[in-house]
Amino acid sequence: MTMNTPSAATSTGAPPRDRPAPRIERLQIRNLTKQFGGLAALRAFDLDVRGGEFISLLGPSGCGKTTALNCIAGLLEPDGGTIDVDGRSVVGTPPERRRFGMVFQNYALFPHLSVDRNVSFGLEMQRVPKAQMSERVDRVLDLVRLREHREKYPAQLSGGQQQRVAIARAVVTEPRLMLMDEPLSNLDAKLRLEMRTEIRRLHQELGLTTIYVTHDQEEALSLSDRVVLMDQGVIRQVGTPRDVYLEPASAYAANFLGARNLMPVRVTARDADRIEVVTPSGTALTGTSRGTLGPGDDAVAAIRPEHVVVRPQGQNGGNSAPGTVVTVEFLGQGTELGIQTVREELFIARSDDLWHPGDPVDVHLPPERLLVFPDDGGGA
Amino acid sequence: MAKGTHTLESAGAAVARPRRAGRPRAFWIGLLLLAPAVILVLALFFYPFFYGLRLSFDPVTGGRFENYRAFFSDARERATIGNTLRLAVPATVINLAVAIPLAYRMRRRFYGRRVITGLFVIPMTLGTVLIAQGMLSFFGRKGWFNKTLELLHLTDEPLRLVHNRTGVIISLTIAEFPVVFLILLGFVSGIDPNLERAAQMLGANGWQRFRRIMLPLMIPGIATAFALSFVATFAVFPSAVMLGQPAGETRVIAIAAWQAAYERFDYSAASAIAIVMAGIEVLVLAIVLLGRSRLYRGPSSGGKG
Repeated sequence: MTMNTPSAATSTGAPPRDRPAPRIERLQIRNLTKQFGGLAALRAFDLDVRGGEFISLLGPSGCGKTTALNCIAGLLEPDGGTIDVDGRSVVGTPPERRRFGMVFQNYALFPHLSVDRNVSFGLEMQRVPKAQMSERVDRVLDLVRLREHREKYPAQLSGGQQQRVAIARAVVTEPRLMLMDEPLSNLDAKLRLEMRTEIRRLHQELGLTTIYVTHDQEEALSLSDRVVLMDQGVIRQVGTPRDVYLEPASAYAANFLGARNLMPVRVTARDADRIEVVTPSGTALTGTSRGTLGPGDDAVAAIRPEHVVVRPQGQNGGNSAPGTVVTVEFLGQGTELGIQTVREELFIARSDDLWHPGDPVDVHLPPERLLVFPDDGGGA
Repeated sequence: MAKGTHTLESAGAAVARPRRAGRPRAFWIGLLLLAPAVILVLALFFYPFFYGLRLSFDPVTGGRFENYRAFFSDARERATIGNTLRLAVPATVINLAVAIPLAYRMRRRFYGRRVITGLFVIPMTLGTVLIAQGMLSFFGRKGWFNKTLELLHLTDEPLRLVHNRTGVIISLTIAEFPVVFLILLGFVSGIDPNLERAAQMLGANGWQRFRRIMLPLMIPGIATAFALSFVATFAVFPSAVMLGQPAGETRVIAIAAWQAAYERFDYSAASAIAIVMAGIEVLVLAIVLLGRSRLYRGPSSGGKG
């Protein structure tokens, strides 16, 4: 992820040209709702997915992303709303007749069937002729590089291999829509990265229209054409990874996408995008306004650790505060610092320089990086 | 170099020694803790079993195998094996046939599941004699069941449901149903529900999901339930006496053993019959377990479980 100025972020959602033609033109979801025991798990969920697009539903657990996925799959009956594939409603169609593919978090491989039989299961259900079936199974096993494991049973495979079987099993049926429910969260960190690349590769080779559920922002940003950020059953923001990363629409979005420095502030003055705020401890800061804010309003100021500038004390300028390094975490690429200012505010910053706990520093918050949002209760 | 290696080895041994010394002690403590259970099993199972086994080869008259020869050469005695199988196998099969779909339907949590499960389990608390008493008055010639059928003009004469094989099969079915049902319910509830969802997403309808995914995964449970139900029903005694024809078609192997022991006072012959009974049970269990390993591979939970 390269750091660009916010204005450089534009829509790049269209799939590249070299992909095979997607099997659907358009998935259209309107006003989807679902309640569990009086609790709204999903409210007014609207989403348009173009054929071949890779969409992530991103949010913390309990945000309704899996509920939305299960409603699309047909495993859950929505309380209201419409789901149309190419203009035809699928609500009321049982999952087995929707011709959607699904990959589960725990893989859900059939433990009593070999890799071969797991993969061919969907084709058997479709009554695909034997010869054609084995050809298609061969092809998809090559695609996920599991041909030599075809005789094995799921229990004999590693987690990554099992997930590849699960993907192959869903892909081989040529589903109209591919649904993935946190497929990588049971894998260890290294495998997760490998499988992420694998999923991206498969998507590019097969042009499958995909809806991918995850709570991992990195996964969502790296895989998707567009990210749907959810919170408490509601969509908070839809946009390209670049959009949601650089232009969070709310304090909640900023917080979830890695702006770990959030401060409650009060607006003192505003001039177009430029906004003056003051923190509870009295630090006056200049930031960039995001939302309708006026003097006297409560707001939330947010900045990413990598945008906080740390420098030796004495080079004081605007938007700076003197402080002391209290924690140093080595990350490989630079270090992460916890810095306490003299006014008892704690900032988290990334730095490539070598700092030690106790070092006196100046924390500088570049005004164009310090985003000020209306207080939506979801941030700080 | 050689010297260095030597030093390293001896250092390693010195470090390892205290741990090795600790192990036998833990072993003896473990054995000591096992002792009460071991003594109980030895005293209550192995001793009587081997006592009976020895006794069976020590007949009142004749050679070592006289008891077994007598049992298998006497048509009336030999027939008890068939009589018992004709009760135990149908009762077990009926139970499985009812319990498999029922447990499958109840695999998910739903409101009232515990109450329904509790109701199904009640027969377990009754005991065979109470069930037999109830059945005698309910299914008898002048019982409610036949009265109702008569009132509804469904039958011309009372159905004979007691004092024959049917009566015993019904009572064994009632008595063993809870065990079969609970075992299967436990198994089917333990199967990852995502497996069914995965099959559904792959286009499998309700029957195909049951037939292709759930039933194969239930096989270990079915085998276990079959084995337990068969062993219990093969040892039938009170219901065969009270609800059957203990001198005729329900003269089961346990009755033969009882008569040998307490009518002819031939403990040796009775032991031999009991050993034959055990042998048949072991044989059937072996067949069931062999069939299970042929039909089933892998655990019932998906993924890495």
